[in-house]
Amino acid sequence: MSTILQAKDVCKYFRGLKAVDGVSMEVQKGEIFGIIGPNGAGKTTFFNVCSGVYEATAGQVFLDGEEITGRPPEEIARKGMARTFQNIQLFKYMTVLENVKIGNHIHSKTNMFDAIFHTGRYKQDEKEALERAEAVIEKVGIAEYRDVMAGTLSYGSQRKVEIARALALEPKILLLDEPAAGMNPNETQELSDFIKRINAEGYTIVVIEHDMKFIMNLCHRILVINFGKRICEGTPDEVRSNRQVHEAYFGKGTLGGVHVDKEHEAVREEASEDAED
Amino acid sequence: MVNYALQQLMNGICQGSIYALMAIGYTMIYGVVGLVSFSYGELVMIGGFGAYYTFVYSGNFFLGVIGGFMASAVWGIVLYILCYKRFLEAPRHISMICTFAFSMMTKNLAQIVFGSEPKAVPSVFENVTYTILGIRITTLQMIIISVVIVFAICFTLFLTKTRAGTMLRAVSQNKKASALMGINVQRTVLIGNGIGCALGGVAGVLLILYYASCYPNLGQLVGNKALTSTVLGGLVSIAGSALGGLSIGILENLGIMFIPVGFRDVITFIFLVIVLIFRPKGLFVRKGTR
Amino acid sequence: MGTTNVSTAAVSPFEKLRLFTQKYKKWLLLALFVVVAIIPLVYDDVYYKNIMVKILMYVIIASSLNMINGYSGQFNLGQAGFLCIGAYTASLLATRLGWNFLVTMPLAGIVTMIFGYLVSKPTLRLSGIYLSIVTLGFSEIVRLVVYNWTDFTGGPLGVKGIPAPEFFGISFKETDAFYYLVLVLVVITLFVMHRVLNSRVGRAWMSIREDQLAASSLGVELRKYKSQNFMFGAFFAGIGGCLFAYFYRYIDANMFLLDEGFNVISMVVIGGQGTLVGPVLGAVIVNTLTEALRSLDQFRMVIYAALIIFMMWWRPQGLAGASNSILAGGKLRRKGKAADEEESDEEGGSIT
Repeated sequence: MSTILQAKDVCKYFRGLKAVDGVSMEVQKGEIFGIIGPNGAGKTTFFNVCSGVYEATAGQVFLDGEEITGRPPEEIARKGMARTFQNIQLFKYMTVLENVKIGNHIHSKTNMFDAIFHTGRYKQDEKEALERAEAVIEKVGIAEYRDVMAGTLSYGSQRKVEIARALALEPKILLLDEPAAGMNPNETQELSDFIKRINAEGYTIVVIEHDMKFIMNLCHRILVINFGKRICEGTPDEVRSNRQVHEAYFGKGTLGGVHVDKEHEAVREEASEDAED
Repeated sequence: MVNYALQQLMNGICQGSIYALMAIGYTMIYGVVGLVSFSYGELVMIGGFGAYYTFVYSGNFFLGVIGGFMASAVWGIVLYILCYKRFLEAPRHISMICTFAFSMMTKNLAQIVFGSEPKAVPSVFENVTYTILGIRITTLQMIIISVVIVFAICFTLFLTKTRAGTMLRAVSQNKKASALMGINVQRTVLIGNGIGCALGGVAGVLLILYYASCYPNLGQLVGNKALTSTVLGGLVSIAGSALGGLSIGILENLGIMFIPVGFRDVITFIFLVIVLIFRPKGLFVRKGTR
Repeated sequence: MGTTNVSTAAVSPFEKLRLFTQKYKKWLLLALFVVVAIIPLVYDDVYYKNIMVKILMYVIIASSLNMINGYSGQFNLGQAGFLCIGAYTASLLATRLGWNFLVTMPLAGIVTMIFGYLVSKPTLRLSGIYLSIVTLGFSEIVRLVVYNWTDFTGGPLGVKGIPAPEFFGISFKETDAFYYLVLVLVVITLFVMHRVLNSRVGRAWMSIREDQLAASSLGVELRKYKSQNFMFGAFFAGIGGCLFAYFYRYIDANMFLLDEGFNVISMVVIGGQGTLVGPVLGAVIVNTLTEALRSLDQFRMVIYAALIIFMMWWRPQGLAGASNSILAGGKLRRKGKAADEEESDEEGGSIT
């Protein structure tokens, strides 16, 4: 196996706030890699640094051995990284087909001249764009919405369109930012199966999620982040048994359960005393 | 030469302070309504006419200022109803078109009602020229500058110290959250827009005194200045837009020392373009603030 | 907030008409073309023919603005500046150097396109209202420079005596001939625009209009396409300006006031931004209105302005805009929630 995406001590500070503070990771070709952490842990910021939306304060990012730190998103996309967004960012007033066709942008070369005179290249590109888009739409299972305005679809379908659009890039690596957010359990299961299926086809996938169950069942390896720092990394089993992860997710006091109960009782007593008065 | 430059600087400060007052009003409107207005110049003109007629009938300077203030506030409410109320959450270009149309309507109505010939403004106070260190300063200039300072201070106090001011600031930050807090957003926006327009009206009063004449095309000359000053100041910063207005006034008056008068307005716009190229959010906005 | 399906609700007659025209688009276009082409043959009144030429010229101009405002979401307020450059390029070349229309017209387009590039390059970082203000400033800078640079442009006197176009032994001095010349150019313009929009380039523009972040993460080069879009729009504006000059035979800087730019914008918005047919409708309506209101004399502009405000109240998405667009119905909302929040982040904020 070879490393496809590597982050070395990536930091991203917003003024005083250290959103991401020295996180490293190595994603191997062909795996499903999960990133988890509580809300505000810096997962999405980390993603944004990797995909070029934010410029890293420090650290380096490599895609397939090539440094991509500080490159603009469009260049990184060209090098083979596709992503989806936490709060779906579709082209709302374009049809699903058009949305997915834009995914083919980097694989075609039509310029204005070609478009005006319908040159061979234009015809070739349009044919290819249509074929690929239709194939992807079919694969993701949104063929029935082919000519519908993307903005009018339901939440779950919009997520699918976004994934389809990213897949049309035929990326070396696919980053999914909270793909299950807002989905019902059925849809979540379906999504999980779908991700496994495209992984089997050879796509390397990185998923951000805070739904523990979803990620434990899906991923080969998991990186846990909290307060912008890396807590641990390993297989789902290793992560599950890690004490720090528990602390990050459930707080320190809850493990024994004693501490909390005591406090509760204290409060209750006070309350009853007040009532008697 | 130095003396001439200082004289021009003085004129620049005087003219710039009128621009500053307009820019403050504009900032208020943009901040609260959240939409750009292209009829601001016409509101300034209406304020000028309001003051002109008050001057003619009363001859009192202070009543004139109040007249200009009221005239623009009322016309601002008409503007709000026609151009903003329905489009508060619509894409920006729609209300922009409406304000442009409104400006056209106001200007042409004014030509019909008031006549397009410039009217000579009666003198409402004795204009004396003082010479301090070789620079001539007139009573008019001093009055203009002090009126602007008084209004700027009162307005800032109003925004920060009163309940209504707090409501206006809340609405300018987040309309939805303000509504949830029980603020009547529509009414607050209406008030904010009215105040912004009224400040423009006061600027109109000062303008007709400065030019000593009042005519319907007055607004056209200055509307873009207000917009430019506000953009320079970063659109929502009151201090910023005041500084923006001041700097444009000074720049114009110093600029015509070196280039033909016809290019006067070009200076403003070139300055704006250059500033925006290097500071895409205006001169006086701190970087990284959200 | 779910998805509202408009078709199940009562369909307004207007909406029916829109759907009908969409269905038989090709035939209607052909029929329209035939009608427009034979009007001058059967109807002989120079006054009305001149109005029709004007409408056709504005079709080109409004469409060129629509390319920028409607398809890449960059709100350009300075179309008058581009018109001015196109008109002056053509007229100066024609009067000073005596060059033929066949040379001056493309050159007018190209020179304007270069200016389009010059405007777009430094402004790529700007967004929304800031960009609009710069284009507005550009338009005024162009006009004032042209007005004051007397040696080169003739200044306030304008450029007089622009010859009628003449090539291949045909003179386009007569209104009829000029009418057909413009008509051919309109058809070419719309054809080219249609083809570009239905290609990778057009899709890239629209993706930028919809969501810049998503577009860039799909490999769409924002800078390149934004500036290309500006140049494309400017090119046709230059052609439009050139036709202006040849039509009026005389131009001066005051024909290109900001009001002119606003006039063009209102055509685009009234017709329907982001649709090809919108600016055509807009050009027809606005020009017909201004002519029809001529008899009202001084009330003309007042009524005209009031009608524009009325149009915005009645149909903010424009005549050709779909009823299920964001703007339709009583509820007016900005595009999508996320975009809304982003925008307010960008430009709004508390007064300080």
